[in-house]
Amino acid sequence: MSAVRRNNVVLHGPSDGPPMMFAHGFGCDQNMWRHVWPAFAATHRVVLFDHVGSGGSDLAAYDPRRYSSLDAYAEDVLDICRELGLRDVVFVGHSVSAMIGALAAAAEPERFARLVMLGPSPRYIDDGDYVGGFTREDIEGLLDALDSNYLGWSSAMAPVIMGNADRPELGDELTNSFCRTDPEIAAQFARVTFLSDNRADLPRVRTRSLVVQCREDAIASEVVGEYVHRSLPDSEMVVLDATGHCPHLSAPDQTVAAMRTFLAAA
Amino acid sequence: MSGDGVLADSVEELFEDAPCGYVSTRLDGTVVQVNRTFEAWTGCRRDALIGRRHFAHLLAPGGRIYYETHVAPLLMLQGAVREIAVEVVRADGTRLPALLNASLRHDAEGRPGAIRITVFDATDRRRYEQELQRARRREQEIAQQLQRSLLAGRLPDDPRLDLEVVYRPAVRGLEVGGDWYDAFWLDEGHSVGLVVGDVVGRGLEAAATMGQLRSAVRALSATGLPPGPVLDGLDGYSRRHEVGRMTTLVLARLDLSPGLLTYACAGHLPPVVARPGEAAQALWGGRSPAVDAHRAGARPRGVGTCRLPPGSVLVLYTDGLVERRARPLQEGIDQLLREVDDRRDAPAASIGAGLLAAMTGTDDLDDTCLVVVGVGGAPAGG
Repeated sequence: MSAVRRNNVVLHGPSDGPPMMFAHGFGCDQNMWRHVWPAFAATHRVVLFDHVGSGGSDLAAYDPRRYSSLDAYAEDVLDICRELGLRDVVFVGHSVSAMIGALAAAAEPERFARLVMLGPSPRYIDDGDYVGGFTREDIEGLLDALDSNYLGWSSAMAPVIMGNADRPELGDELTNSFCRTDPEIAAQFARVTFLSDNRADLPRVRTRSLVVQCREDAIASEVVGEYVHRSLPDSEMVVLDATGHCPHLSAPDQTVAAMRTFLAAA
Repeated sequence: MSGDGVLADSVEELFEDAPCGYVSTRLDGTVVQVNRTFEAWTGCRRDALIGRRHFAHLLAPGGRIYYETHVAPLLMLQGAVREIAVEVVRADGTRLPALLNASLRHDAEGRPGAIRITVFDATDRRRYEQELQRARRREQEIAQQLQRSLLAGRLPDDPRLDLEVVYRPAVRGLEVGGDWYDAFWLDEGHSVGLVVGDVVGRGLEAAATMGQLRSAVRALSATGLPPGPVLDGLDGYSRRHEVGRMTTLVLARLDLSPGLLTYACAGHLPPVVARPGEAAQALWGGRSPAVDAHRAGARPRGVGTCRLPPGSVLVLYTDGLVERRARPLQEGIDQLLREVDDRRDAPAASIGAGLLAAMTGTDDLDDTCLVVVGVGGAPAGG
């Protein structure tokens, strides 16, 4: 199956515009970018997609063994770039996808012009002097929270959703139709995301990068944002006058403005 | 009327002392208002919350991540969320299991301006849900134990025979399946019976049915009947006891000297053999419909035969190995033939593991069951 279909790629903007690729974080899908991508659709080739296992991706392509590390997600990003013939990509990644972008850019630097990282964290769990903000028990708590919140995803409904990636209308009958994820996939993606350690990968990223940080981000604190900024060889950091982990939803105008400033700089 | 004073509830009292907690936040989650009920339930005073705390920070860490990664985005995208299970951390560090409903409040221009959250004490409900979840896990464990015990038992161990059986449950399966394998001595050690079958359905019932059919096949085979008549006998068993209808299976008898395979397939995928000096091939003989799917008066089930000289490899398998969505079955069988060819000189154990690794993975919605037999003993050192 093509990566474009597997990852539910959606394109906007002029086909000859410089490509800008948006990668959603854990817990949602490409709908997350709805207040940001339109600001770039006049000038850029906007590439939206869902990670395998999320949103409208082909759930049958989710192999738990393959997706047991973030490398597989980075390979998917590169697959999409290759298939669409994208070069000099501006990659915009939220949360875990900031690290996925870093891995992809470290692997094939020539494909990427810039990286924009919203709320990045290379490691969520505290480790010695490093303060990620969470403990391993906290991550177990997240898995419990995921478990308690899939009441609507009963075993009777799962096969209908899982087996019909090609018939998305079936999913529309469900409540909370945005950001729907198969519970087992969500649990594994949570483990892969929150137990990952990509600190050693950051110095390998030569692409010019922007770290977009919110105040009081409960997932990736300002200290973590500064760590990412310091570890990247060529980066700047901007702290938005916004709190929370999703500035692209809660403060899209500021997010767009920060990206524009970064992209305009030569 | 007397009592009106109690009935007349001011709007303020209704808000403050409602039987649920109220919390309002800015879009970014900063608390701007709470009611007395929330204060009483959590032991957190409002002046310590308002303008100072982010709602997500009032939740236990796991729930905080869930709130920030799932609830907050959903709220912004669809305007409201319902029945979100979290734990609110009280001032004394204990936790209040709660259900949240939340909605966006819009300003005069229709832009989202604030978040309203109602908090319901869900202590008892959570306890009940946890009991249900435990019961469901227990049921799965019981079914798995049952299945394991039904498949247990010593397999023929003989230098003339390199035998490997593999059972791998579906990667995402919540319930056990009805696949089974079997291998047992016949004719006082001159031949061996080999079976791979697939009962319709999943769960405890499928596992129990599988156990019955497995025993029936063993018992019928022990009478000395060839595979075809054994399957006819199984039809009768299925009909009389109303069990296992539409089960598919392949039953083979391997005579060790002179290496002759007699087999019958009831609606099942064809055995694959790789004989010395020949490409691997599927055996399409001895075919008949699934168990108890015969029309009345149908012919007795026949058998196919195939010589298996020393060095031959035989593979029996269930559909989990070759069937994939969006791929014709023949392509799956063709791939299996290639994969068997690539490994034919290996010991049966590594053929089994290799086939599993090569053939399954991306779409494991079904169980996979395999019997691999190397005829003439394992290769030297194997």
